[in-house]
Amino acid sequence: MNRGSDSSSHTRVVDGDELVITHEDIDRAHDRARVSAVRARGGTFSRLRLLWLLIGPGLLVMLGENDGPSMLSYAATGARFGIGFFLPFIVLTFAMAMMVQEMTVRLGAATHRGHAELIFDRFGPFWGWFSLIDLGIGNFLTLITEFIAIRAGLGFFGVPPWAAVLSALALLYLALLTHRYWTWERITLAIAAFNLVFVPVAFLTHPSWHSVGHALVAWKPLPGGLNNETLLIVLADIGATVTPWMLFFQQSATVDKGLTRRDIRFGRIDTVLGAALATIAALATVLATAPLFTHHITAENFQAAEFAQALQPIIGRLGATLFALGIVEAGMVACVTISISSAYAFGEVASRPHSLNLPMAQAKAFYSVLFVCAAIAAAIVMIPGLPLVYVVLLVNVIAVLAMPPALVFLFMLVNDREIMGELVSPRWANVLATAVVIFLTTAGVLFGVSVIAPNIFAGLGAQ
Amino acid sequence: MTVRHEAAHGSIDSSEHDLVVSSLERDQLTEVKKQHFPRRKLKGSELVVLWSLRIYLLFMVAVVLYEVCTGAH
Repeated sequence: MNRGSDSSSHTRVVDGDELVITHEDIDRAHDRARVSAVRARGGTFSRLRLLWLLIGPGLLVMLGENDGPSMLSYAATGARFGIGFFLPFIVLTFAMAMMVQEMTVRLGAATHRGHAELIFDRFGPFWGWFSLIDLGIGNFLTLITEFIAIRAGLGFFGVPPWAAVLSALALLYLALLTHRYWTWERITLAIAAFNLVFVPVAFLTHPSWHSVGHALVAWKPLPGGLNNETLLIVLADIGATVTPWMLFFQQSATVDKGLTRRDIRFGRIDTVLGAALATIAALATVLATAPLFTHHITAENFQAAEFAQALQPIIGRLGATLFALGIVEAGMVACVTISISSAYAFGEVASRPHSLNLPMAQAKAFYSVLFVCAAIAAAIVMIPGLPLVYVVLLVNVIAVLAMPPALVFLFMLVNDREIMGELVSPRWANVLATAVVIFLTTAGVLFGVSVIAPNIFAGLGAQ
Repeated sequence: MTVRHEAAHGSIDSSEHDLVVSSLERDQLTEVKKQHFPRRKLKGSELVVLWSLRIYLLFMVAVVLYEVCTGAH
């Protein structure tokens, strides 16, 4: 079955067949030619240059997932529960994310197809639509929370909500004006690097590094035991690192970037590097707000600006400013990556042109989905009286609940020898992957039990 | 050899054609990517897992909605 071709193409003979070469192909070919040229040179500097050319999707997905709701979840974690249980727990969740995301690199490089497209092709539209609806709803809710974060972060500087939201939409539009995947990726990476602004903020709180080291090694029990409040934070922190949009985004970005089987090693390095940087930023955020816990400052209903204001007496105006800017950056980068993951999925399923290498005129549906979703989410944030922090935590929880079905599709695809060939997952990876699904499902069930029967954990020592 | 491009985007010449042919794998061409992979038949055990997780998700969404309602009060 052949889908229709776009008008911006030209028929040429390739490998004996008459095929159409598009604008998208030419742009991608330029990127790939640079990779081939550097690869041919050899030597240490060339390997570093090759790494520079091939990294991107992994870094973006990991730093993108350190989004507004994630950073607010980490901030709430540090302020309400300190560091004892959650520092090692966050490292564990990023290890899970890294393992799962590596599979999307292999899938993208082996098949040159996006995630939504593969689910529809291999499992049919019935399961495909389920998967797409999960993604669409999750992405839209998460987008709302990104604008909440941007609005709250800029609120610290006295920017009115309408101006904050409009600025974010304008920046989203500007980031896409390049019409080149490579340029867009580099601009977004430069903004995403600002996620590490939480590291100096953590240093400004003068944490006890001995306690931090001890917390990471000893892994203290969950403070307060199992109850609805702690489970909500646990699920929100899991949802801050593993969510369905990440699978769709990284696979589609890997394809759009043009990575091949030969580049998988660099795709893995990219993912590990992204996970490492994102873990550092996440841990720094918990450390930054932990003084609120030790000073017994109630942070139950804090928003981003209020976290920054509460921290100001401890870390000064500079630290509070950096914290607020970090929240804005987190919301902004995720706003871009999540919108794009929705647009990729839509384009793949609707068989419409879907590449950041395409000008807007040639991919109207792709760019329309991207902007319309973002604009509606931005408008919702302007509704007065929305319980913002509560919405943020619940969105992360929903992301965790939607993850096991998404992961099962991923595992089935990555073990599909017909499309993956020799790149199917090894047995040990499947064992770990199954453990992740069981872990996420169990966490969800425990949360469900804590909601339906809140007293059931009292016998287990919960406070 | 220069070939006119069909769209308003200008033209592609033979060097661009050669660049695409030499730099992209055949499966990376937009036109080739329009071909669908064949559908595979799901095993009984796979259907059980997929349906179980679908029911789990629907149930848990109901739990979250209940949490939102009680939280709102």
